[in-house]
Amino acid sequence: MSENKKIEIMWKILIFCLFFTVINSAEVVNKNVINRKVVRSIDLNSQLVKISGTITLENAGKEAVGNYLIGFERDLQGSIAYITVQDSLKTPLKAGRVAVVGAGTTEVFYNVQLKSNVEPGKTATILYEVVLTKALPPYPSSITQKEKQLVRYFGNHYFYSPYYTEYQKTDVLVSSRAVETYSKLKPVSQTDSTISYGPYEKVPAYSIDHMTIHYENNAPFLTVTRLERTIEVSHWGNIAIEEAIEIKHTGAKLKGPFSRYDYQRDTSSNHHSIKSYKTVLPALAHSIYYRDMNGNISTSSVKPKKDYIELELRPRFPLFGGWQSSYILGYSVPSYPYLFRKSNGEFVLNVRLLDHVFDDMAVEELETNIVLPVGVSNIKVKTPYEVKRLPDGVAYKYLDNIGRTVIRASKSNLVEQHIQDIEITYGWPSHMLLHEPVLVSIALFLTFIIVIIYVRLDFSIRKPEHAKKD
Amino acid sequence: MSQAGTKKGAVSKINKNVAINSLIVFVVLLLAWVAGFASRLFAVIRFESIIHEFDPWFNYRATAYMVKHGFYNFLNWFDERAWYPLGRIVGGTVYPGLMLTSGSIHYILHLLHINVHIRDICVFLAPIFSGLTAISTYFLTKELWSTGAGLFAACFIAIVPGYISRSVAGSYDNEGIAIFALQFTYFLWIKSVKTGSVFWAVAASLSYFYMVSAWGGYVFIINLIPLHVFVLLLMGRFSNRLFTSYTTFYILGLVMSMQIPFVGFQPIRTSEHMAAAGVFALLFAVAVLKYLQSMLSKSEFKSLVIFGGLIAAAVVFVTVVLLTYAGYIAPWSGRFYSLWDTGYAKIHIPIIASVSEHQPTTWFSFFFDLHVLIPTFPAGLWYCIKNVNDERVFVILYALSAVYFAGVMVRLMLTLTPVVCMLSGVAFSVILELFVKDEDSNSHPDTENDETSHGGKRLYDKAGKVPKIIKHESKEQDAIGPNLRSIAAVVFVLLLMLFAVHCTWVTSNAYSSPSIVLASYGSDGTRQILDDFREAYFWLSQNTADDARVMSWWDYGYQIAGMANRTTLVDNNTWNNSHIALVGKAMSSNESAAYEIMTALDVDYVLVIFGGVIGYSGDDINKFLWMVRIAEGEHPKDIKESDYFTEHGEFRVDAEGSPTLLNCLMYKLSYYKFGELKLDYRTASGYDRTRNAVIGNKDIQLTYLEEAYTTEHWLVRIYRVKKPDEFNRPRIPVANRVIKSTFVSKKNSKRKKGVIKNKPVIVKGKKPAVKTQ
Repeated sequence: MSENKKIEIMWKILIFCLFFTVINSAEVVNKNVINRKVVRSIDLNSQLVKISGTITLENAGKEAVGNYLIGFERDLQGSIAYITVQDSLKTPLKAGRVAVVGAGTTEVFYNVQLKSNVEPGKTATILYEVVLTKALPPYPSSITQKEKQLVRYFGNHYFYSPYYTEYQKTDVLVSSRAVETYSKLKPVSQTDSTISYGPYEKVPAYSIDHMTIHYENNAPFLTVTRLERTIEVSHWGNIAIEEAIEIKHTGAKLKGPFSRYDYQRDTSSNHHSIKSYKTVLPALAHSIYYRDMNGNISTSSVKPKKDYIELELRPRFPLFGGWQSSYILGYSVPSYPYLFRKSNGEFVLNVRLLDHVFDDMAVEELETNIVLPVGVSNIKVKTPYEVKRLPDGVAYKYLDNIGRTVIRASKSNLVEQHIQDIEITYGWPSHMLLHEPVLVSIALFLTFIIVIIYVRLDFSIRKPEHAKKD
Repeated sequence: MSQAGTKKGAVSKINKNVAINSLIVFVVLLLAWVAGFASRLFAVIRFESIIHEFDPWFNYRATAYMVKHGFYNFLNWFDERAWYPLGRIVGGTVYPGLMLTSGSIHYILHLLHINVHIRDICVFLAPIFSGLTAISTYFLTKELWSTGAGLFAACFIAIVPGYISRSVAGSYDNEGIAIFALQFTYFLWIKSVKTGSVFWAVAASLSYFYMVSAWGGYVFIINLIPLHVFVLLLMGRFSNRLFTSYTTFYILGLVMSMQIPFVGFQPIRTSEHMAAAGVFALLFAVAVLKYLQSMLSKSEFKSLVIFGGLIAAAVVFVTVVLLTYAGYIAPWSGRFYSLWDTGYAKIHIPIIASVSEHQPTTWFSFFFDLHVLIPTFPAGLWYCIKNVNDERVFVILYALSAVYFAGVMVRLMLTLTPVVCMLSGVAFSVILELFVKDEDSNSHPDTENDETSHGGKRLYDKAGKVPKIIKHESKEQDAIGPNLRSIAAVVFVLLLMLFAVHCTWVTSNAYSSPSIVLASYGSDGTRQILDDFREAYFWLSQNTADDARVMSWWDYGYQIAGMANRTTLVDNNTWNNSHIALVGKAMSSNESAAYEIMTALDVDYVLVIFGGVIGYSGDDINKFLWMVRIAEGEHPKDIKESDYFTEHGEFRVDAEGSPTLLNCLMYKLSYYKFGELKLDYRTASGYDRTRNAVIGNKDIQLTYLEEAYTTEHWLVRIYRVKKPDEFNRPRIPVANRVIKSTFVSKKNSKRKKGVIKNKPVIVKGKKPAVKTQ
């Protein structure tokens, strides 16, 4: 009993502490801001949930307003992968995660810095886009080979906001007409593959009304569970990129046997299993390889397009729900589009922190290693978004007697929108270019000298026989 | 002063000659190495850098383990993933030479920061060692005959298919390095017999030690060298040189060979090694007698030799027999018996007979593997016999024993190949000395048409042999006219060219298939790769539990362990016949009997190879009779081979096949759902392309297993063994569970029906009341 109490007290203290810290840095909601009009569209076509919205806000107070809070219900806490906010002219606005006074700690709020203050009585329009991963649990969670894959989406009929909303409307786009059920908060209508909710008027702040959509989704539910990307820079003009990728089908699990016979007979493209997918590589990529721990995977094709290379990858086996696979994809690109020399002699490397694996991808864990040339100094790293910098490593490549610095970074829960460049600035003496060739030359020279000395000199104790004969 | 000057000039002239000669030798050997290396790369170029076949996969896995965990951990490695539930002490049951060799190459390269993956070292190890084999063959032949013959032999062994068959890139097997060790040991042995120096004898025993660490075929050395000594003694060629070299070699070799954990005390406890010990004793006896001979009179000596010899021989023989009976010396192993009696294995040890490379050699494969060398090598042998000396006795014995063994087992073709190359080298060298020697200017164009390496050799022959041949010359110059000479020269060059072409063709077509990747060619020449093995193994590695146990026939054990990293029941290290027989029994029993065996062995998955869709002939149904035979050997009550044949004694899979076959586990697993599959429009459904028959049992139902995965071309089929609560009882949701009410309790004398509480009453023709909300 006493132990339980103790634990209770500890919990209370803990929660109190948490609150205290949160409140310390929390944002206060400006009650004078109201949402005049909110139009949302929720795209459920793929394995990702893409919510985009247009918010027209109005300053009903007497002072100018410089920021705006976008909120999300607590259910979304782990699944928000990416958010962008733009103003009406499509210029991106800064949005940082904050806590809000008066709201729970598990809800998520982003504080948007408006470009210019909104004067009292004036309106402003902002656009936002959010990508959610793991927000579509399959239901039923396991199916047989012949069944269709159904998933459920849990959302909110209302636009979740710390502000009062006057008028709002939501469109939900699903991948097919086959919608099993959807929650009905009137007015609601379904046309083709779109479900329209609203308009709802005069919705108070923090309103939640659960929305459930249960529908058929045969899009590939493929998750990259781990992606290890290694970029090796050579000042001889080449950048070698290798990605070790682990993928998993995260849709409904396969129940019962897998029948090759049925699989061969079923030729419809609309199947929940994944046979192949397309990876986009840079247009200049060459020397592409696709293999796993048992060697080359012979089922892939490369199609050069106008400004990219399309690689159709077929895993060794079709992926059904719950099945996983892993492979290594590597290629080289010339360094000139990525490596520049600044006027002060420093080098700037602009490479992608993450690259395309397949359309609508979801990456759980990313680790990017950038192997810089031998002898770099004064390294500065600029990342496009917040990443976790791991301690720098040292790599020994061919004939390296001095190690190469490896910049390591990791991040979890990424989507396509995270395909952005990392910028690394470093100093590097040009004579290091000849380091290895000189090393090899000296080694060969020494070998020949030793052979010459060995052949010319007579090491035997006895006198050579032919001299005697002569 | 002037005298000194001329002397210097002469020396420099000789030096120059020596320099040119050694340059030619160097160039030819280098080219032989390069040619040998290059011709082994067909598989890598056509497919990829990958480990081939079955055994190499184990070697590769062991090497990778050693590189990762260190040498001592490797020696202590207990592999719990093999021979479930027994496990395997790998360190004590392998010849570690191969792993050590590639491991040390890997270590040295990584010290220099040349980051080569261990797989690539394993893949290219055999081709690299083929060059070393060529060089040691050169030295050995040079010791036996001449430099020219040596160069011929080196070039032959670099490209001869009989050796390539075991040393293509990717064939990472013991034989790849063992043939080098074999040839090098022989070279050092010959050198030590020639010189009588302890140095060479020690070198020979070191090389022998390497051979022991690399391959079980070391028994061949430890029997051939004593045989050589024995024959030399019989021929009255005893010398102190022989005594020094053999005693040094034997003692050091014995002590060192016992350091290999797998060999252990075998060298003093098994019959295979007794000959060496016997010869060792005999050599001492002869030495003592030789010593006594100088002290005693002739008649005394004679009687001493007769009586002493007889008594000594009897004592030795009786001791060996007694020790064998007492169990101190193990009798000959089964494999050894099968070398003397080719029918032995078939009757007593089906597991040895089931391996195709243990079959007797066909005459065809002699020609296929050795081509022109097989007719020319008797000529070389004859020259050796004619000009016999100590070391040529050795090569004669080598040739005779190797020919015999190669005739018994296809696999031992490998030991024949080097000696054939050496003796053919001798033959070619002698013949060319005879025919081409005098006509430097005429034969130049011929040689230049030929391959560079061949050209180099012949050039060398002419240049180097000049002083020696003068004697022959005077006798034979009159007998052979210039026309005949040139015809002969052209014929030989053509023969050699044909040989090169044949070798390349055989290598490319017969020995360069990785066998885990199959390729088929369409009518338009496009190549289609059938990668089913790796597909299945990779599926196993990714989508089964880490400790899942996979039952398959032993052929695939190493591959499953290597590529799928899963526990296997039996594998290619066929040390436990009864365990293999148990798997064979499970495969040849019906499903329910097999299920009992499989649950007893904790089997989670069953893997079978089925070639019926693509016409792959090496599948499990074709191997099935061996499974039956091996199972019958251990379980004669349950499995009878005759049950699997039709009344006419045929093995058929179609409707006329025996019912036992049509219902056994292997048949069911191979043909599950195959009866519905139509391969093309002309054939009936369920048509097996490998056996050209429509299968007999088209409607196969599985109770205890379910299909877990089948590869794209149905080549590998994996089944999951159901747990006892899964089969035969489809799970019914609680709501649908109905209790049959027709049951009447017999215990109740009043025959009153039991009553279930809240049982819905159903009246026929009336809709049950539906609760509405």
